Amino acid sequence: MSEKDVRLEEALDDLERIVEELENGKKSLEECLDLYEKGMRLVKHCHARLENAKRKIESLTGELPPGLD
Amino acid sequence: MHDLWARGELSNYVHHRSGHRYFTLKDRDSQISCVLFRNDGVRLGFELKDGQNVIVYGDVGVYRPQGRVQLMAKGIRLDEGIGLRHLQLEALKKKLADEGLFSIEHKRSLPKYPERIGIVTSPQGAALRDVLRIIGPYPARIILSPAQVQGEGAAESIAMAVRALQGRADVVIVCRGGGSTEDLWCFNSELVARAIFECDSPVISAVGHETDFTVADFVADVRAPTPTAAAEMAVPDIEKLRSLLVQATVRMKRSLWSGLERREERLEYLKRCISAQKMYSLTEEARQRLDSLERRLCAAESERRTALESRLEQAEGRLAAVGPLATLSRGYAIVRSPRGLVLSSEDVQQGEVLELILAKGRLLVSVVENKAVEEVYH
Repeated sequence: MSEKDVRLEEALDDLERIVEELENGKKSLEECLDLYEKGMRLVKHCHARLENAKRKIESLTGELPPGLD
Repeated sequence: MHDLWARGELSNYVHHRSGHRYFTLKDRDSQISCVLFRNDGVRLGFELKDGQNVIVYGDVGVYRPQGRVQLMAKGIRLDEGIGLRHLQLEALKKKLADEGLFSIEHKRSLPKYPERIGIVTSPQGAALRDVLRIIGPYPARIILSPAQVQGEGAAESIAMAVRALQGRADVVIVCRGGGSTEDLWCFNSELVARAIFECDSPVISAVGHETDFTVADFVADVRAPTPTAAAEMAVPDIEKLRSLLVQATVRMKRSLWSGLERREERLEYLKRCISAQKMYSLTEEARQRLDSLERRLCAAESERRTALESRLEQAEGRLAAVGPLATLSRGYAIVRSPRGLVLSSEDVQQGEVLELILAKGRLLVSVVENKAVEEVYH
């Protein structure tokens, strides 16, 4: 699964777990740096999802009436 | 006649200055004059209007001045004209409730961050626009499943639209704007109820206004008072989400820094422990200890020597006292023959050579004469 396909919910869940792991401070420095990097990637990913969101509306049947966006 | 019910259409309604209300209740082939006295009218709870279908409760009496029979109302209820339908609705509710379609253990919780939001409503309705406005910039795919939400065939259309979203949505909003009880009736159908119940994703129902309750609302996982409220329930607040991300960033940075600081402190502490000065003082201590050990070793050695020396001297003294040397130095001599010490003249022959050991030196002598024992003087 490429990073682009990660669901927002999954990304946020992962992020939450990473923050907690970092905060309880039981990991080695190396692991902390890895977690931090991963966490920041997730933050960036989520931000990108929020900022670049183009709302996509589709209709299962028939045409969408004009002016819905 | 007391305490009877009459059903009919209201006409010739007059709200008199006195506070009494007068009207005629009629149906297809009969009519009766009615009065609602002011005191009874206080509890009415709605405005009477010509053309309303009402159910009147009261007593029948005669208005003597005109000799007219009239109904003196004690209470009036709007007759929705759905008495039978109402009974059917109650029966359906009971049936569905008995089957467990309304039960709390079937209620699913809504996803926190839905990726696909299914909407069952009329593409032309205001409800759809309300929902879209609230979802706003939230990044989700919106899948409209168009339905006819009033009139003939509406129930079938809604049920089909709900089923069409099978496997395509994380959450489904079934909604419709406000309307008459009549307009909303399709949401009371068993078809719609079952379609909602069988939907594979959680369903939010929002039919009409806050005070309107339909069977769809009972079956849905969540009932929203209005379409707007339904949309608010379906998606998280995007600003909150943004601040959540900012918070996560801050928390990660903070804990990383504090972790680094903690390690730096530890390093600093360990560094202090093994500093050159500390090491120097440690070796200094060892050296001093070595010195002192050395001193003690030397002292012990010389003490031991002195003790040995004095013991030797003593032994020498005692040896001298018991040894022959002192005796010899007083003028005695030791006489030896090849057979050993000579203590008696009988031990030697005349002419034999003997050895004399003196205090200083030795002599070899020859025996000139052997005299008897008694001739010797001590």
